[in-house]
Amino acid sequence: MFYRLKYLTNEAFRTIQRHKGVASMSIVIMSLSLLMLAVFLLATDNLLKVIGQAQQEMKVYVYLDDSVDADGIQKLHHDLFSSPEVESVVFIPRDEALAEFRTRLTEEDAELLNALQTNPLPNSFWMTLKGEHRDHATLVNVAGRISQIAGVEEVRYGKDFIDKFSRIIRGIYYVDIVVGLIVILSALFIISNAVRLTVISRKRNIEILKLVGATNRFITVPFIIEGAFQGGVAAVFSLLLLFAITVASRRVVPELTFFSAEKSGIYLITCVVIGSLGSFAALRRYLKV
Amino acid sequence: MVQDYKKDRSVIGVYHISKKYGDQLALDDVSITVANGEFVFLVGPSGAGKSTLLRMIYMEEQPTDGQVVVGSFVSTQIRRKDIPYLRRKIGVVFQDFKLLDDRDVFENVAIAMRVCGAKSFEIKRKVTSVVNQVGLLHKRKDLPNKLSGGEQQRVAIARALVNSPAVLLADEPTGNLDPVVTEEILRLLFKINSGGTAVLMTTHDHELVKNFGPRVIHLCDGKLQEDTKTGLVGNLNDRLDTIQLERDRLKRIGARPYR
Repeated sequence: MFYRLKYLTNEAFRTIQRHKGVASMSIVIMSLSLLMLAVFLLATDNLLKVIGQAQQEMKVYVYLDDSVDADGIQKLHHDLFSSPEVESVVFIPRDEALAEFRTRLTEEDAELLNALQTNPLPNSFWMTLKGEHRDHATLVNVAGRISQIAGVEEVRYGKDFIDKFSRIIRGIYYVDIVVGLIVILSALFIISNAVRLTVISRKRNIEILKLVGATNRFITVPFIIEGAFQGGVAAVFSLLLLFAITVASRRVVPELTFFSAEKSGIYLITCVVIGSLGSFAALRRYLKV
Repeated sequence: MVQDYKKDRSVIGVYHISKKYGDQLALDDVSITVANGEFVFLVGPSGAGKSTLLRMIYMEEQPTDGQVVVGSFVSTQIRRKDIPYLRRKIGVVFQDFKLLDDRDVFENVAIAMRVCGAKSFEIKRKVTSVVNQVGLLHKRKDLPNKLSGGEQQRVAIARALVNSPAVLLADEPTGNLDPVVTEEILRLLFKINSGGTAVLMTTHDHELVKNFGPRVIHLCDGKLQEDTKTGLVGNLNDRLDTIQLERDRLKRIGARPYR
């Protein structure tokens, strides 16, 4: 069994060597169509990251009534934190809020502020929601609930901005899914064609193998290994090309990030699987092996 | 009807087979048995059904009616995945050689053993011996496209023999070869036959059969016309007509009729 597998593996690589032309041509075709796919995936990856960061900025400001004392503040802090959607609650004392406000003013305005004897700002909490709850509906829901609590004077969450932002995000998701489907389908179409040509170019050899009594496994195993190898090589090529493109694009968009090691690994494995399954499917379909 | 093939000493048993392609009747109630070690010519004009009959025997196709028995394989009972094991028990040789053009002579012969999972030392010993037997040991490292037609056919024969089959099927093996090489290949086939391997060879070359033929089966329009062993003789006029038709056809396509 082991001896057999070794022979069939060798056979796969010998075949690649014998048909260098066809093999390198299909690797080039696969690399380019995978590159197209990888560019799309990286763009989506970056987009999601940007959206995540923007959502991180989604804060709920809870302004308190001046009548709430230190104990009340403690209790409120606890209450707010105990709702399941909440990720963090930070208490901002009114003095701190004033100091913060001051830093944002010009010198002239700051003096104007000094003219006020008392601090006009209330105590407040800055809340962030957990990642999965950072959407418009939850925000409205949570804000509504909090505003009912005694001692809370006002709840703000940049309503207009978030309304618009979540509409844009939804639009981007739809476009991304549609573009993704088109890209994936065309990449698969191109790859399956390349594999089909390879298989058809070997049709005669396969018929001869069948005549001398080769089992289906004897015929398919080298093909699957070959397809996996080609898929892997094409994946590496497309990642290298994509990396070059990313580095070059950083001149324009410096924030652009490359795939994490984990995602690169998943991408590679997926390409290997696509390559081997593609070969197998083509054999089944065109040669009825 | 199932024949009692176990009592039968034959290596190939073809029992009342018919083959239809749509409305076309390619074979019509043909029965032939080939005994162990026998040499049989299957003669008939192009389109008589010779190749179809051979395809039924190596079970590339199934008959519409009747059954084919090869060794312990029965066409009506065989499963798809058993067919490779049948192919290892018979050697097949074709007019167009069917060699792997990206592998040298040695590998072309060795492949028939590799598909069976033979060990490499065994392969080396057996392939070397068979390649020597067909007289091509000095060319074992050459690619098929460097060989002449006759040499390529010798490689194909070596490949068919390397698993020591009980029977060798040869479909017009001399169809692409000139008379001198044809005779060489025939002598080689006779030599193989004298070693105990049954040979079933198709040809449309009547002259060849006259010169060499031990047992001759004549096929025409999918029907058995004559079998010199069983003494079956069809309508003689039919046969003469067929020969005349074949002559006319060859003349029409500009080929030189029989020598």
